[in-house]
Amino acid sequence: MSLLADVQDFVRIANRVTDMKELQSLLEGATHELGFDYFALVHHVNIYQTKGNIVFLFDYPSAWADIVDRKGYFMDDPVHLACEKSAAPFTWADLSDMIALTERQREMLDAAKLAGLGEGFTIPIHIPGEYTGSCTFTTRLGQQMRWQVLPAAHYVGSFAFEAARRLAMRLAAQRGQAASEPIQPRLTRRQLDCVVLAGRGKSDNDVAQILGISGQTVHQHMEAAKRKYEVATRMQLIVRALFDSQISFADLVG
Amino acid sequence: MVDVVTSCNRHKYESQLALMHEDRRRIFVESLKWDIPVVDGRFEKDQFDNDDAVYLLALDAKKETHLGSVRLLPSSKPHLLGDVFPMLCDNGVPRGDDIWEITRLCTAPQLRGREAWLARSYLAVGMVELALLYGIGRYTCVAETSWLSSIMAVGWECEPLGLPQEINGESVGALIINITPATLQLFRMKMGWRLPVLELDAIAKAA
Repeated sequence: MSLLADVQDFVRIANRVTDMKELQSLLEGATHELGFDYFALVHHVNIYQTKGNIVFLFDYPSAWADIVDRKGYFMDDPVHLACEKSAAPFTWADLSDMIALTERQREMLDAAKLAGLGEGFTIPIHIPGEYTGSCTFTTRLGQQMRWQVLPAAHYVGSFAFEAARRLAMRLAAQRGQAASEPIQPRLTRRQLDCVVLAGRGKSDNDVAQILGISGQTVHQHMEAAKRKYEVATRMQLIVRALFDSQISFADLVG
Repeated sequence: MVDVVTSCNRHKYESQLALMHEDRRRIFVESLKWDIPVVDGRFEKDQFDNDDAVYLLALDAKKETHLGSVRLLPSSKPHLLGDVFPMLCDNGVPRGDDIWEITRLCTAPQLRGREAWLARSYLAVGMVELALLYGIGRYTCVAETSWLSSIMAVGWECEPLGLPQEINGESVGALIINITPATLQLFRMKMGWRLPVLELDAIAKAA
């Protein structure tokens, strides 16, 4: 059987999967087929503080899961941080080139080795308006990953994440926690103009001059936008509008 | 609403198609830096913008502003996957009357937030409606793998036709997308819109 045929079989089953346990065992099987030992399929959020349709599926050794939990490593996981900088998959060996590792992050990578994790390959998952996620495949310590399987692992990880995301949304909807689609406050065009200019560091008075309206009107637009998002500061408003893709980084830095 | 433009009614959409080609230049050439031809320094247009192409145009109510568009090509005729990227299909390029190709899907660069989401939704539902009207069971497309998750998040049921490959520094792959009446139901539910988005009038005139 070719690698592609294996991936296609995986995708066909993953597209039809109806519960997380089924997906877990499907992905465990694929992980071993690809020559890896462990996988983690996660949204990059603190699961203790977030409710709703969150993907959180892994089969790391329980010793490592305990350490991550106890030390709160998920808070500043260097792999998750690197995902924010990359649309393309990367190996853990690339990490130090992608981000400036802190002392604690180096300590975390060492601790992972002690817990028996070897090489890792991570596929970032970026969907506009949703939390960043990733699928990581890991070998056990001493075991090398096979480079030729990485394109196949890339697809298996992406399709597995979508299957998990769909299941998580369905489960959350059944529990009545979240609508299947996040509810986005709608900002008016004028409010968006004000938010973009505020994001470029302009004061209300600057914004007023640029848009040719009064400072009072700008203030009212900003306040109305903050109320829609239920946030208190301009900073929070800009961050939320960016997260929802109501405005883009290109708007702010272009 | 979404207008269907074919070789039969193209003469009525000259200005809208020109706007589409200009927006395509802004998006694919200027923003995404694709190495593709630009005609007269203004219009992104290639050999597949021919009489076989069917365009779905999302236009404003006055039909004066281009909000988004997509180009659909029958797989039985020359098309991007078949003629430029056949190496992305490990087991040959899928061809048949019921298989069409999606290319140049875009929304106008000035749209933000909800406006852009709405234009994308109209085009997605429009593509499904056209598939059901034309008897298209599957769409193919060439996609950068970094977009794969976003494509699937829309609800498209994708399968890979080959493993991703590095072409001009980008990781790209060929996908095939299954379309059924359930797809239409799902997309209309997500969009919160129950009526057809295609201007059926335009189709009747085109037929």
